[in-house]
Amino acid sequence: MSNDVFFLAEFVDGAPQRSALELAAGAAALAEQGGGQAVALAYGAGAADGAAALGAGGSARAVVLGDEDRPAITYAPVAAEAVRGGLAVLAPATPNGRDIAAALVGRLDVPAFGPVSDVRLDGSMLRATQATLQGSIVTESQPADDAAGPAVVLVLANTFTPTEGGSGSAEVSQAASVTDDPLTKATVVESHAEEQAAVNLEEATVIVAGGRGVGGPEGFEQLEELARALGGAVGASRAAADAGWVPYQLQIGQTGKVVKPSLYLGAGISGAIQHRVGMQTAEHVVAINKDPDAPIGEFADLFVVGDLFGIVPKLTDEIKRRKGS
Amino acid sequence: MKIVVCIKQVPATTADKRYEADLTLDRTSVETVINPLDEYAIEQALRLADDGKVDEVAYLSMGPEQASEALRRALAMGGDQAYLVTDAALSGADEWATAKVLAAALDKLAPNVALMGMASDDARGSLVPGAVAAMRKLPLLSYGAELRLEDGVARIRRLNATGHDIIEAPLPLVASVTDQVGEPRYASLKGIMAAKRKPLETWGLSDIGLSADDLHGGSLTRVTSAEPPEAKPPTERVENVPPEEAATRIADWLAARKLI
Ligand SMILES: Cc1cc2nc3c(=O)[nH]c(=O)nc-3n(C[C@H](O)[C@H](O)[C@H](O)COP(=O)(O)OP(=O)(O)OC[C@H]3O[C@@H](n4cnc5c(N)ncnc54)[C@H](O)[C@@H]3O)c2cc1C
Ligand SMILES: Nc1ncnc2c1ncn2[C@@H]1O[C@H](COP(=O)(O)O)[C@@H](O)[C@H]1O
Repeated sequence: MSNDVFFLAEFVDGAPQRSALELAAGAAALAEQGGGQAVALAYGAGAADGAAALGAGGSARAVVLGDEDRPAITYAPVAAEAVRGGLAVLAPATPNGRDIAAALVGRLDVPAFGPVSDVRLDGSMLRATQATLQGSIVTESQPADDAAGPAVVLVLANTFTPTEGGSGSAEVSQAASVTDDPLTKATVVESHAEEQAAVNLEEATVIVAGGRGVGGPEGFEQLEELARALGGAVGASRAAADAGWVPYQLQIGQTGKVVKPSLYLGAGISGAIQHRVGMQTAEHVVAINKDPDAPIGEFADLFVVGDLFGIVPKLTDEIKRRKGS
Repeated sequence: MKIVVCIKQVPATTADKRYEADLTLDRTSVETVINPLDEYAIEQALRLADDGKVDEVAYLSMGPEQASEALRRALAMGGDQAYLVTDAALSGADEWATAKVLAAALDKLAPNVALMGMASDDARGSLVPGAVAAMRKLPLLSYGAELRLEDGVARIRRLNATGHDIIEAPLPLVASVTDQVGEPRYASLKGIMAAKRKPLETWGLSDIGLSADDLHGGSLTRVTSAEPPEAKPPTERVENVPPEEAATRIADWLAARKLI
């Protein structure tokens, strides 16, 4: 047993995802509380070259699971060997992060937590805070007395803040590859890019989200402008994605992205429970809806009753004016 | 070709939920439904059966005895038979214990595809499919917007950052699908009648070769407190004002919180 805290560091096109930098900060903080080391589990295209730089975020070591662009689950068997005996593994609460986390739980027979809104160590006891049952209950939990480690912890985006301006380099090692494990058998046989820029909604700190009330792609252009003025990204309800007005990559909610921005501004969204569970941990929630009884009015911090087509363009102008641009 | 769809009975999304004194969820007094995301897995399996790609669709659930209602409802949508694993040792089971039980039951049923929903409504961990695959030493295809079966392999369509990938793995395997597979069908009256005569077997832990000791008391985690979330300050409302003023009020509100 060690008190090492591992975290998943996914690389895409040579660069670590923002989740890797956030989890690096979280793992470093936990490692300090527990007296162990923060260790990156780097995988994906560019992981081998980029792993050392994770030291700037406080990682003492980085284990390269593999350097190819292949399904995340295929890295799970190597990860399972690398984390044996550790105290905790932090994984982003994304589909890729959950795939690896789940396989670790199944392979190592270890406890799982999350998605957590907070995780800390009391000595070597891990304590996790998480919302369950559509956010109606917040629980504190810890590994059972006889549970083996490491504890696997799913972490929402924007739970930890990446360390800025750090220096230092992680000691990099290459994990022994595992090829005969059935989990390595999933392969990408086709890849289709749609005509749109990649947006990582989970990483945005400001999100302007639109729903059925936005009425169509033209309405979303207005939201796009507002998002640009605020320095944020556009998100959507499932109704808007189902209608084909925006790609599914922008869907927020139970079956879309779970986001935790500092500002969520929703326009023409009713606030159905399945949408709410994807954004309820946003720090500030503003809603514009013409229905004074829309459910989103019950949990928004600021609820503006009115026509979004009247308000949104004026708000965009007002923000541009105040920002002096 | 045989598919087993794993379905969980959960409290209705809108039901009032409460925890018992022992910090496990009270699963007996609330209105229950098939986990809404599992209905998409059922729909996917039935579509494959409709297309002649699958000869047998069975359902598997772990839960209290009343979870047999969820299995009957699934059988009313279609499919051939159902299995319920129920045991006193399983109350308060976490995702690890759930996966352990489902994995053992699936080993016994040996389907070509064990199909799951992408998450359970009440836990939202999305961990059971991957954990089951790892325990059973099978490949995993997760978060499929669609599942296809062709000679010896399965393929899913899965969203990526800018579009989608087609991911393939050899059978047998574990797969999970999302709400993009298409709207679940309703049970017809005929379906409901037929479901009453379809076989539903109930198994205890020993029937799937497990003992309570294998399950560490049903959970590797221990809940130490369960509370309602901290009350938020009441919503500020802006109503009956012209759009210019609404815009100014929002901008002021954002500025006061240093968001612009
Ligand atoms: C299993 C399952 C999973 C789901 N997952 C998700 C998910 O991940 N994400 C998600 O979002 N949904 C999800 N849903 C769907 C969810 O239940 C709702 O149907 C959906 O969120 C509604 O989207 P909406 O708010 O855009 O539309 P609506 O509920 O139709 O609301 C539109 C709102 O716009 C307002 N409006 C109309 N015109 C204007 C105007 N001119 N100005 C201002 N306001 C206006 C209306 O008053 C209304 O409140 C899921 C459902 C199921 C069953
Ligand atoms: N008790 C259960 N019985 C049967 N299937 C389950 C059970 N719990 C979870 N599952 C399956 O695993 C999927 C993911 O659940 P979870 O990992 O709990 O989010 C669900 O959509 C179900 O298909």
